[in-house]
Formats: sequence, C-alpha cells, structure tokens
Amino acid sequence: MNVEAAVQALVDAGVEFVIIGGWSAILNGSSYSTNDLDICFARKSENLRHLAQALAPFHPRLRDLPKGLPFVWDQATLRNGTVFTLDTDLGKIALLAEVAGLGTFEQITGGSVVTEAFDRHVRMLDLKSLIEAKRAAGTDKDLMVLPELESLLEAEEP
Amino acid sequence: MTPEELARAEDRLRNPAPGSRIEAAKKFGIDLTLLIGQLRLSPAERARQMHEVCRVAESVRGAARRRKP
Repeated sequence: MNVEAAVQALVDAGVEFVIIGGWSAILNGSSYSTNDLDICFARKSENLRHLAQALAPFHPRLRDLPKGLPFVWDQATLRNGTVFTLDTDLGKIALLAEVAGLGTFEQITGGSVVTEAFDRHVRMLDLKSLIEAKRAAGTDKDLMVLPELESLLEAEEP
Repeated sequence: MTPEELARAEDRLRNPAPGSRIEAAKKFGIDLTLLIGQLRLSPAERARQMHEVCRVAESVRGAARRRKP
C-alpha cells in the first residue's frame, strides 16, 4: 500500500477528507499496522469531483465487484453511494461518507485534528473520536485495538 | 506534546496506576514500551515508520511459500 502517494494525491486535488481507521490510529501513536487507507469524505458536489479526479489515475475499482462487470469511476458514482471499498494501483482505499458512531464529514471535523504527515497537512480523527468510532464499529478487529488507544488517551490526559 | 507532557505520559505508561486503563491494557497484553516509542515520534515520523514497515511487509509477503526446498 502506497499510502503516502494516496494521501498526497487526495490533498493535492483539494479533496476534503478525514483519515479514519488504522492510519488514524497509527498517526495517534498506535503500534498496530494496517494494509489499507480509510477516509471519510465530504459529499459536496465539488468535493466528489475532486475525489473522482484524484483517484482516477490509480484505476479504482470496487473490491467486491465480480470480475468482468463494468464499473465507472466518476462523480455520479460517488454521489450514488456512501461506502466504497476500492482496489487501486496504490493499494486498498475505503471511502466512507459516514463513520459509525460519529456521523458525516461535517459532523466529525469537530473531533478531528490537522497534523503534518506524508509531507502534507492532513486531517485525522483525534484519539477520543477514534475510540468512539472503534467502539461503535464493534467488530473483534476494532475492539482489539481499544485497550491500546485508551492507554494512549489516558497517558496523554492532562 | 510538550517535553513535560511527554515525560508524564511515559511515566504513566511505565508505571500504570492500579485500576487504570493503562494497567488493563498491560494485562490485556499490550506492549506499553511500543507506545512509549510511538509517543516520542511526531505524526509524520509515525507515518514514515509505518510506511516503511508496510513496504517491507509487502516485499516479503508469501516468502515462506516461495522458499527453495
């Protein structure tokens, strides 16, 4: 997964997004690793256009789409869905319009911070929001990281 | 984090208070020394480090099945 190139492409195209999931955990200090990039994106028309343009060079296709079925990657496709789990030339990227437990892009920006990473300024979930999201997602994989994230939160408390 | 905040966080992770979430995480099996290492890095450094881990992991993935007899 070339997460650096993916993030840079998104930022450089002017996409409004928040890094969520595993990479958000890593940026917050988690020692777990991940093999995909999860982001929550704003559903404004202009942003969908930027998002479509940003990833188009990397040939995104839906991961669960049977081989041979046509898939059009454009603004209209993005408008018609809220969750896209993609294979791209850069690796696996999941695009979510809404995060369980937190809400839409507009709702989660308050629980996010801008940091410098991947040679860009990027927005990512803060620890508290990330913990809420993991708890709301509730899968074994999500719950497994909670003890570590809660330790980090407790260690950093004033 | 300021140096003072980092020192306090490291101390909490090194010496978990009884009944704390950090102590619970230690009992769960979390290696708290890894977290101390991560806290000392900036987000950009964490990203670079994990990016390198991913790159190496990709390069060796499946190597056991490719070994020569």
